[in-house]
Amino acid sequence: MLEINNLDVSYDKIQVIWDLSLKISNNEAVGIFGPNGSGKSTLIKAIMGLVSAGSGEVIYNGESITDFETHNITKKGIALVPQRRELFPLMSVKENLRLGAAYIPKARKRIEENLQSIYQIFPILKEREKQLAGTMSGGQQRMLAVGRALMSNPKLLILDEPSIGLQPSLVTDLFKKLNEIKKQDVSVLLAEQNVRQGLKVIDRGYVLENGKIAFADNAEKLSNNEHIQKTYLGL
Amino acid sequence: MSLTKKQYIMLFLLALIILIIALWQPHALIYGIQRGSLYALIALPLALVLGILGVLNLAHGEFLTVGLYLSYMLYERFNLDPLLSIIPVVIILSLIGAGIYLLTIKHVLKDGHLNQLLLTFGVSLILIEIINIIWTSRPRNVFTSYSYSSMSIGNFSFGTYEFLYFFMAIAVLILLQLFLKKTRLGQATFAVGQNPRGAKIVGINVSYVYLFVFTLAVAILGLVGAVMLPRTAIFPAVGSPFSLKSFALAAMAGLGNMNGILIAGIGLGIGEAVIKSIPGAGGWADIVFFGVLIAVIIARSYREGN
Repeated sequence: MLEINNLDVSYDKIQVIWDLSLKISNNEAVGIFGPNGSGKSTLIKAIMGLVSAGSGEVIYNGESITDFETHNITKKGIALVPQRRELFPLMSVKENLRLGAAYIPKARKRIEENLQSIYQIFPILKEREKQLAGTMSGGQQRMLAVGRALMSNPKLLILDEPSIGLQPSLVTDLFKKLNEIKKQDVSVLLAEQNVRQGLKVIDRGYVLENGKIAFADNAEKLSNNEHIQKTYLGL
Repeated sequence: MSLTKKQYIMLFLLALIILIIALWQPHALIYGIQRGSLYALIALPLALVLGILGVLNLAHGEFLTVGLYLSYMLYERFNLDPLLSIIPVVIILSLIGAGIYLLTIKHVLKDGHLNQLLLTFGVSLILIEIINIIWTSRPRNVFTSYSYSSMSIGNFSFGTYEFLYFFMAIAVLILLQLFLKKTRLGQATFAVGQNPRGAKIVGINVSYVYLFVFTLAVAILGLVGAVMLPRTAIFPAVGSPFSLKSFALAAMAGLGNMNGILIAGIGLGIGEAVIKSIPGAGGWADIVFFGVLIAVIIARSYREGN
């Protein structure tokens, strides 16, 4: 459903992504692993139209979305859980969730329905639905960011380092939820530094080093790979 | 809207001061409320643009000037009563505002504040000069039958027309808040004001919201211009002082606090009127106006610093 062909991305004159190609199929969960500064976030920003691609193309369901603006990409059915969460701090949890669907024509009709199913995955959001988003803890804000993304009924859910800044128990919890979400007719693109947890969610993964794909394989083979075990799993 | 305990105390103090002034200087009180409401009415759209786009528009006052001259032109050419000119003035000025936004301000949104200030300052100079070329610098007036309507209580009489500003300020305040809370575009606007990147991510067309908010702000100035005209002698720089006064009110109220703008506007309006009513002290009005502003900002930065 998503295909990236020979993508180059630069900030000013510093090239961050080099000739990168990858593919995500329907209902597949794909991981992008790599250390800080390897280009994971930049790749995701390029897919979402938050930075512009130098060359190459991003194709979604057969259509090039390389030069689309972010809001139009979201309308196509790609939802982002950003690393910095990017919530609306002066709005309540419920208002934040509603905004996730309000500007997506298809999702707008199903706001109440979607709210209920998200409250089922994240009961804490139901409990706190009237609380202002800006006053919640980091972990709760992360759940809210995932919930807000799901409100748009995405076909592809992109998560940019969802585990960052979370205590280990919350990370385990969040990845369990991701496994639940994965079952609901949605593809997942997960960028993570926490490879150990990430491997539990994904079907297939790419390892990104210095803006290039170092190697790609299915989850099982990746976890048995010697380089990965040494560099990312500390074995 | 709900008020905190502190806001109740503030309102009570304000009421007390108003009562004292009412007994001591009734003219200053009435003139101050009228004038202060006008300041607030003009400051609200400036605060809206500042809050959502993050741009301090130094040409704000000049858009008001253009609105005044448009209303004047319609009166002079077609003998259209200024209050009836509200709708055409709002439409024409909105188009001018949107055009200037798309040509200039849109391109410096990502720049630093200095660039934005220089750019809007340049726009303000250009607008003043264009008006100068079309209408010259000669002051112009429009007299209507209702401009100087007045009311008397005993042997105390005062002008009533300018109370319109007070009711308009309250109406604009309520409508803006309803818009932000209850409409889809308003919610998008509120979202963009809090987090433009977050807004893009949920599918909001942020550039469209910016254009809309700027145009709305200019439209409000058109409304104010047409209503001000019957009581205002106009000249090319007539609106200029309002840019700074509006910024003063927005800064005093604190970013995003629209109710505070009306309270601050009326407070400063009354203060200014009281000083002007003291013989020989009239020249101090602006000094006190901006002196109070500086004091409030310093006090706030100390409070927030702790």
